[in-house]
Amino acid sequence: MNKNKTLKSVLAALALTVPLACSGIAKAEDAINLRMTIWSAAEAHLKLFNEIAADFKKDHPNVTVTFESLPFDTYTTALTTQIAGGNAPDMAWVFETAAYDFVNSGALYPLTDTLKAAPGYNLDEVSATATERWQKDGTLYAYPFSTSPFAVFVNNDVIKAAGAKTPAELIAAGEWTWDNAIATASAVGQGGKVPGKGGLIVRDFNYQSWQNLASIWNGFGAAPWSADGKTCMMTEKPMVDALTFIHDAIFNKKAIPGPGENVDFFAGNAAMTITQISRASLLPKDKPFSWDLVPLPKGPAGDYALIGQAGIGVMQSGKNAKTAAEFVAYMTNPENSAKLSRFFPSARKSLLNAEVLKKTNPLLSQEQIDKVVIAGIATGKVIPGHTGFAQIQQTVRSGLDAIWRPDADVAGTLQTICGQIGPLLKR
Amino acid sequence: MAVAQDNAIPEGRSSSPFWTVARRDSLGGFLFIAPQLIGITIFVLIPLGLVFWYSLHEWNVLANTFTYTGTQNYQMLIEDPNLPQVLGSTAIFSAGLVVLNLSLALLLAVLLNQRLAGITVFRTLFFSPVVVSLVAWTIVWGFLLQKNGGINGMLQLFGIEGPNWLRGETTAMISVIVVQVFKNVGLNMILFLAALQGVPNELYEAARIDGAPRFKQFRRITLPLISPTILLTSIITIAGSLQVFAQIAVLTQGGPGLSTTVLVYYLYQQAFQFHFFGYGSTLSILLFLIVAVLTFAQWQLRKRIVFYES
Amino acid sequence: MKAEISPRMKVILYGLMCVLLIPFVFPTWWMVTSSVKPISDIFAFPPQLLPQSYDWTTYSKVFELQPFVKQYWNSAYIAAIVTIGTMIVSSMAGYAFARIKFPFANTIFMIVLLGLLIPSEVTIVPLFQMFLKAGMVNTHWPLVLVPIFGAPSVFATFVMRQFFVTLPVELEEAARVDGLGRFKIFRKIALPLARPALASVAIFTFLHSWNLYLEPIVFLSSADKFTLPQALTQYTDAYGGPMWNIQLAAATLTALPVLIVFIIAQKQFVEGLAHTGLKG
Repeated sequence: MNKNKTLKSVLAALALTVPLACSGIAKAEDAINLRMTIWSAAEAHLKLFNEIAADFKKDHPNVTVTFESLPFDTYTTALTTQIAGGNAPDMAWVFETAAYDFVNSGALYPLTDTLKAAPGYNLDEVSATATERWQKDGTLYAYPFSTSPFAVFVNNDVIKAAGAKTPAELIAAGEWTWDNAIATASAVGQGGKVPGKGGLIVRDFNYQSWQNLASIWNGFGAAPWSADGKTCMMTEKPMVDALTFIHDAIFNKKAIPGPGENVDFFAGNAAMTITQISRASLLPKDKPFSWDLVPLPKGPAGDYALIGQAGIGVMQSGKNAKTAAEFVAYMTNPENSAKLSRFFPSARKSLLNAEVLKKTNPLLSQEQIDKVVIAGIATGKVIPGHTGFAQIQQTVRSGLDAIWRPDADVAGTLQTICGQIGPLLKR
Repeated sequence: MAVAQDNAIPEGRSSSPFWTVARRDSLGGFLFIAPQLIGITIFVLIPLGLVFWYSLHEWNVLANTFTYTGTQNYQMLIEDPNLPQVLGSTAIFSAGLVVLNLSLALLLAVLLNQRLAGITVFRTLFFSPVVVSLVAWTIVWGFLLQKNGGINGMLQLFGIEGPNWLRGETTAMISVIVVQVFKNVGLNMILFLAALQGVPNELYEAARIDGAPRFKQFRRITLPLISPTILLTSIITIAGSLQVFAQIAVLTQGGPGLSTTVLVYYLYQQAFQFHFFGYGSTLSILLFLIVAVLTFAQWQLRKRIVFYES
Repeated sequence: MKAEISPRMKVILYGLMCVLLIPFVFPTWWMVTSSVKPISDIFAFPPQLLPQSYDWTTYSKVFELQPFVKQYWNSAYIAAIVTIGTMIVSSMAGYAFARIKFPFANTIFMIVLLGLLIPSEVTIVPLFQMFLKAGMVNTHWPLVLVPIFGAPSVFATFVMRQFFVTLPVELEEAARVDGLGRFKIFRKIALPLARPALASVAIFTFLHSWNLYLEPIVFLSSADKFTLPQALTQYTDAYGGPMWNIQLAAATLTALPVLIVFIIAQKQFVEGLAHTGLKG
């Protein structure tokens, strides 16, 4: 009996003291674990992020930041599923197409104050056009850490073998237009002289992500919807012209590989590809080909540029939103932005100069950097986005399927599409 | 209370013990099914109830609002302009799959029921897709069905120009059905094979002596005697066909247009891609009801269709 | 159907079977051969039946890019636990439904059968929330508990019930007379006889767990906890484009061992299914 009593009192004492001891320890450390979801799994990227996180830890010893890579093509879905399941991350990357949804939903923590309060942050040097869709009513809800212009990578070997004019030649002659670009692509894609090679590939389009066709239709002055997002503009003449042009390029001129045809430019199998400049790292090192990087061709509406963006947001629902915001401020301050711009071009004016960009894009020549990167970021329009983008994207995608066949009624299909997305746009 | 008498029951006991053998057996029965039943309650019934609960709300994940809307989602369901086509695609897909699967399985089972040398090798090979990972199988078929992929390559050897399989509405549906059937028909084939082997040989002998042709033997003897298996496989195959998701997600993403968007894929789009969890839940309830009704109907019909019932 | 087959008929049968075999075998062949092709050759036109040049690095890259060995182990041990657990749960439940008379048995059986009808996409969100509250997200617990106790094991229960229904009652009655309790009857008489049915349940369950795709994607977020089907889709380059040849190498590694086991155990498997006594 005595033993029992002693045991009981010991246990009781432990029961009281252990939590106290723990809370004592907890008060001293108050460990904060932050998680950021990203869509890149590249080792080099992760290494850089972890370095930045380790540096942050020096001043904030109780904060640990981990980076969770979600697959690229289902990223937004996976992120929202996490949020729905109650497992929202503290911070998340956001696609420019999903920006309106996230910013307008109230799901993101306002960043402006924290960013301005960070020492030496200099939020003003980030242009208004860059932050346009990441802010609401003057408050920034996500920071656009990557602003990447679209450009045309060229495989000169393949073009010369097909006996066509290279973009460099066309540019020198002041004739770098869409018609000429397609003519060159067609010469390769027809397969007469160089069998099995594709012409021009709009990478990341793949008959799914139609928003990337903005790299072509912006040159026609077309847009899927009005600037305020409320009216469908797909039935307007510029868009009809642009899509007819693209349809013709695919099915009549064989300049663009058709649906279900898999051609990889970076494997040396195509004349040109439109993609973001960061893809330069995909150029092959063994079996290299003579390549070039040029701006987008001039369209009927003139010169233009297109940029893709990626933003980092902090989730309101996180327990440590304030600390997370401080980390975002740290990660995107001028010093770290310079480090990040090795992979993710920054929208900061101070970093938009040739020396910085040369360091971070060693494969590109001075001229290419000026003409493509700096000009692109300065003048480029962002890829179209909208609230409720997922549903609009899917509706337009399945509607456009009717255009991706040899005989297609472009104008009629666009009418149908506008009819379908009209109500969605107004929401 | 009890008065001591000759065959009186000893004091303290009631007139008959509570735990009769029957009762003890019943308790045993409950204990035996307890794990399964509790599991079903936690992992199936409660989630189903929750799904029904969600369907009565509008749940905006990003804005973190969960507002009660009553039957509004069900109203949306009735008025959904896409739903008729989705249901149509689902019906075509299921019907096509079940018919192709069951007839192919039966054909293969009959073929493989011969005493030929090396027949076990053939049986193994026909069964092999069942054990290959679903994702791998679908990815490989995705390749083969490309316009410049393996299948069209083979057809070219015969001088036929193959269509762009995954980009035509009809061909995409055929492709998805065929990919799914070839993956799983091996399973039904084995079930039919086992059933065929259970048909007594004497019946065939007697029929042959009577001069009945092969086909009549099949119709009058084989089919009735394997009808329980046919019923079982058709229940499983129909229920399974309404749940096919991965193939469509990998091969066609529901396209072109909406032609291969079956109900379960439409549900996934609404709930997980467009984040309309409330409406997605409503579609889930619809799917569940359809499967339940079909299964129940088949189970009731068993008295008519199945020859023997134990 | 069991009559003597003429040589001409034999040729026809073999020929027919070989032709029918093509779509069953060709994809597996393609998977294996493409896994060692350089990536540009995979889409070569005309397609190469046999690799013209070999890239043997794909297999080593499979292990470099992901903790593939760990993922293989994950898939294997989860499938093993699920198989054993399901065999226990379903044999007990199946036996009870077949043999034991207890109130509401039929109604309960119908309710349990509901499990067969519900696609996992329907219940995944509530299940996720349940496991999140229990702190089991990003662990293997959901992948083990749900298959053993939930919907996937219902098919196994069904199969076991069908089997036990066909067992001669006399054996059990004899044991009853000898004074054995229900559990002992189950353990000593019914279960040993159920080996073929248990074998087919084991194989179905193992395959189902091995191939689970949606559940791991929803519940698991760290690469070293992934299972194989999930890992297969992770072989992408930095921009999300799949690295086809490496993916196919991983797919081959996933499929081949199971295929080999099946070839060896094929006889037992077919016989096991044949003896499930699927009569009504």
